[in-house]
This record gives sequence, structure tokens and C-alpha cells, in this order.
Amino acid sequence: MGRYTVRRLLQLIPVVLGTTFIIHFLVWQLPGDPFAGRCGDRPCAPAFVAMMTEKYQLDEPWIFQYLTFLKNLLVGDFGESFNGVPVAQILADTWPVTIRLALVGIAFEIIIGIGAGVLTGMRRGGFLDNLSLVTTLFFLAIPVFVIGFTLQYLLGVQFPIIRPTVTPEARWDELIVPGFVLASLQMAIVVRLARSTIVENLRSDYVRTATAKGLPRMRVVGVHLLRNSLIPVVTFLGTDLGNLMGGAVVTEGIFNINGVGGQLFRAIHLHDSTIIVPMVTVLVLVYLSVNLLVDLLYAVLDPRIRYD
Amino acid sequence: MLSRSKTGAFAVIAGLALLATGCAGGGGGQTSGGGPGGSIAIRGCEPENPLIPGDTGETCGGKVVDSLFTGLVEYNPDTAKPENAVAESIETEDNKKFTVKLKQGWKFHDGTEVKAHNFVDAWNYTANSANALAQGFWFEQFAGFEDVYTEDPDGEEGPKKAPKPAKDKLSGLEVVDDHTFTIELTAPFPVLPSKLGYTVFSPLPDSFFKDPEAFGKKPVGNGPFKFNSWTNHAKIVVDRNDQYGGAKKAKVKTIEFRMYKDDNSAYSDLISDNLDFTEQIPTSALTGDKWKSDLGERAIEGEQGVLQAISFPMYDERFQNKDLRHAISLAIDRKTITEKIFSGGRTPATGWVSPVVEGYKPGACGKWCNFNAAEANALMDKAIAAGWKSGDELPMYYNGDADHKPWTDALCAGLNQVLQGKVKCTPKPFPTFAEFRTEVDDRKMDGIFRSGWQMDFPHIENFLTPLYKTGAPSNDGEWSNKAFDAKVEEADQEQDPAASIAAYQEAEAMMAEEMPAVPCWYYGLQAGYSTKVTNVKVTPFGELDVYSIDTK
Repeated sequence: MGRYTVRRLLQLIPVVLGTTFIIHFLVWQLPGDPFAGRCGDRPCAPAFVAMMTEKYQLDEPWIFQYLTFLKNLLVGDFGESFNGVPVAQILADTWPVTIRLALVGIAFEIIIGIGAGVLTGMRRGGFLDNLSLVTTLFFLAIPVFVIGFTLQYLLGVQFPIIRPTVTPEARWDELIVPGFVLASLQMAIVVRLARSTIVENLRSDYVRTATAKGLPRMRVVGVHLLRNSLIPVVTFLGTDLGNLMGGAVVTEGIFNINGVGGQLFRAIHLHDSTIIVPMVTVLVLVYLSVNLLVDLLYAVLDPRIRYD
Repeated sequence: MLSRSKTGAFAVIAGLALLATGCAGGGGGQTSGGGPGGSIAIRGCEPENPLIPGDTGETCGGKVVDSLFTGLVEYNPDTAKPENAVAESIETEDNKKFTVKLKQGWKFHDGTEVKAHNFVDAWNYTANSANALAQGFWFEQFAGFEDVYTEDPDGEEGPKKAPKPAKDKLSGLEVVDDHTFTIELTAPFPVLPSKLGYTVFSPLPDSFFKDPEAFGKKPVGNGPFKFNSWTNHAKIVVDRNDQYGGAKKAKVKTIEFRMYKDDNSAYSDLISDNLDFTEQIPTSALTGDKWKSDLGERAIEGEQGVLQAISFPMYDERFQNKDLRHAISLAIDRKTITEKIFSGGRTPATGWVSPVVEGYKPGACGKWCNFNAAEANALMDKAIAAGWKSGDELPMYYNGDADHKPWTDALCAGLNQVLQGKVKCTPKPFPTFAEFRTEVDDRKMDGIFRSGWQMDFPHIENFLTPLYKTGAPSNDGEWSNKAFDAKVEEADQEQDPAASIAAYQEAEAMMAEEMPAVPCWYYGLQAGYSTKVTNVKVTPFGELDVYSIDTK
């Protein structure tokens, strides 16, 4: 187990190097000049462009940029964005918010997704099952921004229960509705996934054996059935946590949340490579760690899986 | 083994949760509703450059910097007429040498007095290209500008760098005493006092010169508000300056410029009283006048100094035929587009100058800006006889990251229909404004392209010289006309302001015959405010008047 973890952690190094390399390369292929739209409908002053070019070493080849970036990264220096804000500051502002939002979303997926999946899987064909079928279809079919704007309008404007947007502090309670919107699609998928594996495993030998041994129903479902059925669900949730963090552009836009997705979108828009690269690097790290965590969780869920 | 992996997993999750909660907390951004002199939250956006007047040319930073600094003159919030602010008087005999006297008793937020050298030093610093501020070109009319501002000799792409300026001070600026200084220009320019209200001409305190970089993050001005805090991409907060030297005092205690990513969410906050003012009503609310029924008397309609036009790349010989340019202008049904696409939020243009500025003369474009299908076709036939290939491709370029698609599509479809296929107009968006501007600046346009202009200061000159004079910085189409240049120069030199304006108007009238760019429409202004504030006024610049607004 320990050796496996260490091996996986070591594997992170080439992956991070490779992804940052590709990102760097791609950012440099973006068409357009970062200073063309910065000064409104007129070109920026040449002196200003020259100063910025020199300050951010934009006239150097991108491979040189990449090496400088790596060198600075090793000493924990993320550099400064084009409007003079330390990138570390931007990361510190946005990451906690995004992590909170993603955790709220994941909580919805776990509680409602797995809960409803198990309930409906156990009572296949019942009223609850049909209800959840229709509801999940609804969430699967409707784009996130429609759900977002509708909930924002209903709960924020029509019946003012919440503020329509989230304050810069982004407290947990403010993130409940945005988290729900963010996770709505995946929640529906989790319900479907959990339901079908439960249905499948209900008929399996070990469940029949456990029941025949006279184990209490709770134990059969809770320990034997659920633990085996959760493996695909956990795999999905793990990869999804990464999605929730980087892919929340739409939800963040609707509820005006200052998170990673929106920041990345804005940086790409403004050609601010000083923000794009560090931000994606952190995203890659998060994604890889979550995946490692998921793999380790397999061993917890299924005793047959052993690493070593 | 099992239990160890379990605890490991939980430790990581707990760590994530700790990290997430670690940076929570801090005060809420609530707006208050308890009596006058409270706090308000208005719509803002992230400044693209540090908060230094000489570095700020876009509206996001501009509206913050404007609240922090007061220059020699200020624009009247109703008429946009320049009025003396820090200046006691700006006098001149020949429109070339100006003597500026400052009022006593103005103070910066750090308590130091605003003296003549604060203006002169600030301007010298901004103009000096060695300091690399983005807005240095504003001083090009000042004597000695070419000594302090150097251009890259072989362009941006070239290997050479701009040489170091010969001097670090403009010879045209001279401090006479603590409260007097003189400005000398290279040529007479009667509009100068009007120009001096622009952000770039703000004074800077002595502390700026010690550490400009730190200043850009925490500016110290002399304006009606003092800088409090800047949370990147979230908000900027400014507090009222109780020692403000001006006659008009701000009423509200603090202003929060809250940054939104989406017009719709800002609008939702506005109608639920979580935001006090926005000047960006989303298209979804403008449709069918929904915003007026939502806001009632809290909806503000007005005009602002912005003109949308379509430019021709004169460096492409196909567009040198003025019959073609006239035909395109005549074939645009401005009235229908402004009504159907913008729900009346724009008004058809009748010239190249916005109605809100000094020197506006209605109908400068004459018959050429009225929809006339028959004459458009007749001229188009002439253009075809002169070499335009009938049915030739006519791309229409714009940036797709703002709301330009609907009108561009309508305009192109209209051209194709009215001109019966003699041109084949196709809308071609660039993904971002940056890419669009790169192609425009590199003179790579092979079709017509949109060109919007937002005035810097409210004078007819600002709509003509920077856009259409030969070699002007924003003359994107490279139109060049000797008679026009001469007329503008004549207007620049004219001693009498009224005669000067008349000359500018004559220059504008000359453009009708040449049609260097097709004026489309003037921007209207749609803004709204919450039930918690009162006395809300919007300036012709499309910005909130920060002095008059108050909480209820």
C-alpha cells in the first residue's frame, strides 16, 4: 500500500511536467496579441508594450519561458499577472472558494445521488423509482445555465430566500444553491449509476448467500451490497470532483462566484498566460491527487483489491 | 493495512475541508438602507492595469480612478461642460501658452497639499516613455513631447528597441509658484481646457514617485473618495473623503465597486436590492422593455458619447471607390435595426459626432445616412462599372465576445437584400477583442469592420482628429484627405472657441462626400438603481455621478 502510494506520487512528476509543457505550448499558440485589446479602441503605447514585453519576457522563445516558469515554481514563485497582481494571491483568493463550491456539489451528489439511487434500486418499479426516473431525465436534459438562471430568479428575485449572487467571501450557506446547480447534472447520473449497480448486485450470489446465512437486512444492504456497488460510483465521483473545480465556468458566472473556472476563462480571454499556466498546473495537481485518492478508496471498498 | 488506508483517505479529505474553510470569513458586503450617508454597491469590473491615472485607459479602472482623483477641471454631470475643479483659472491669450492657477486648500488623502508641482511631476512622469505608462500619448501636443517620448524605430516586431528619451521632462511645463504653472503647446489648441478633465491629467502626490508599483495597488488621490481595499476580481471599496477640497461633496459613506461576470446576475441583484446601481442592463431585460416594468421609475434612459461605425480599409484598393462606400451607407436601414435589435436603445446616427458633445451638429451626414434603396443600387451599379466585381465577397469583421452578433447579422442580411446580391456580405467574428484589434492594427482587413468610439472628453474634436486625421492613432481605415486635415488644423489654431467649433463642423461636413466610415448609431444609455438609493444621475460618459447619489 505504502509502496504503491509512493510509486503513484512519483508518477505525478512526469505527468505534471508533461501537462504544464503542453499547456505552455498551447498558450503560446493562442492567436492575437495580449496588448492589442488592452487599451480600448486604439493600439497601446509602444513604450508600454515594450516595457510589458520585457517585464514578462514575452520576446523570449516559449521553451525558455517554460524553463523559467519551472525554475520559479520550484522556489514557490508564481509570478505576477499582467495587471500587477501576484498570481499566488489570485490562487489564494479563488481556490478556497472553488473547493468549497465543489465540496457542496459533491455532497449533493453523494447524499441525494447515492441515497436516491439506493432507494430506487431496492424498490425497482415502485412510485419512487418512476418519480426519480422522470426527475433525473429532467436534470439530464436541461442545460445547467437554464437551471441556474431559473433557480436564481425564483429563489433570489421572485421569492427572495437567497441573495441572487454570492458575496466575495462565499460563505458555505451561500454556496448551497450554486452547489446544487453545479452538481445537478452529475447528481442525476449518480442516481442512475447507483440504481443500476444496486439492481444488478441485488441478484448476485454473495447477496443471496448473506441473506441465506440469516444476516440482518441492514447488514446485507449496508455492508455487502452497498460496498460492492459503490465502486463505479466512487470512480465517477472522483473524476467528477476535478470537473466540478475546473468546469464551473457557467455556474460561477451565473452566481458571480470568484472561482477558478471563471478566472481561467477570463485569463484565456485576455491572453494572460501568467495566470493560465499556474492555474492549470494546480488544477492538474488536484485532479491527479483526487484520482489517487479514488484508487486508494477501492481497497477500502473492495477487500479483493490489493495494492502491493 | 485496511485501516491505515482508511485513515489516510480521511486525513486528505479533512485537509481539503480545512483548506477550504481556512480563508472564509471577513465582513459581509451588504448594502445598508438606514438613512442618508450610507454605503452603496455599484457595478464594477476588474481594472486591466494598476490604478495609476496615467496607466488607466479603459472603463473598469477608469471609474475607480475617477472617484479617487480630481483634476484641474471636471465635467458637469448633466451637460458634460468642463468646469474648474482644482484649477482656479486656466488662462491663455494665444491658445498656445496656458497659465493655470490652482485653488488653495486642496489636499491629497495622505494630508499633503496639492501644489503645482504635483501636476507637473505627474504629467512629466506619464509622458516620459522610459516610465512606460500606457497613456503617455495624451501629451503629444505639449512642447518637448518628442524629447521624452520615443517610438520603436522598426515597430513592435522588429529587433530594435525604442531609444532612451533624450530628456525626462516636458519643456512645455513650468512651475511658477506653489499654485501656478504654465503649459506650452507646440501648436494652438483651444480645446485644451476641455481635455484636461480626462483621468490622465490627474495630479499625483509625492509618495507616488517613491514607489509607483505599490501606489498602483493602493493609490492615494485627491478626489471625493479615498481608496480602501481591492479584492482582485471581486470588489474595490472606496470611502468618502471628508477633507475633500471641492465644492461638491459626496453623500454616501462608501462605494463598493462589485465585479460581475455576467450582466444577468448583476441585474438579478439589482432588482432584488442587492446591488444599488448598474449601467449594463442585459439584452434579455431590454427585450420588450421588461426592465422598465421591473424597475418602474428607477429605470434611467439617456444618451452617452459613444458612436458605432463601420470602417473601410482604404489600404485595400477595392474600397477606394467612394460610390461603393456611399452605396453601403445608403443601404443600411438604421431605423429598423435600432428599433428591432436594440429595442430603441440606440438612435440612428446622422453624423460622426455624438449628440452629447460640444459642437454636435445634427444631420452632418446629410442624405447619405438615410436609407434609400434605389439610390444605393444606382451607386452600386456605378461602382461595378468602375471595377467592383458584382457579387464579390464583402466580409464584415467584428469581435464575437461582446453583443455585436445580432446587429452585424441584420446589417449584412440587409446589405445583401437591398443591393440585390451585388455584394455578398458575410459576418465574420473574431473570438476576442484582442484578436480583432491585432488584425485591425496590423492592417489585415479585407472587408468592412466595426469601429466603436467612446469619447475621452466631450468635444467634437475628440470624434474627428483621433479617428480620421491622416496618421492619427485610431485611424484604423487609413483614410487620408488633405482638405480634411487642413480644415482640422485650421480649427485647432482658431483663437475663438465658437469659430473653432464651426471649423470642426465644416471638417465633419466634408466627410459626408467621402464617407471614410459609415456612422451607424449613437449609443443610448440604460441604467437602473435599487430602492435603497435616491438622487441617481448618470453622466454623458455613461457613468454614475458619485457626488449626487445618496442612500434613503
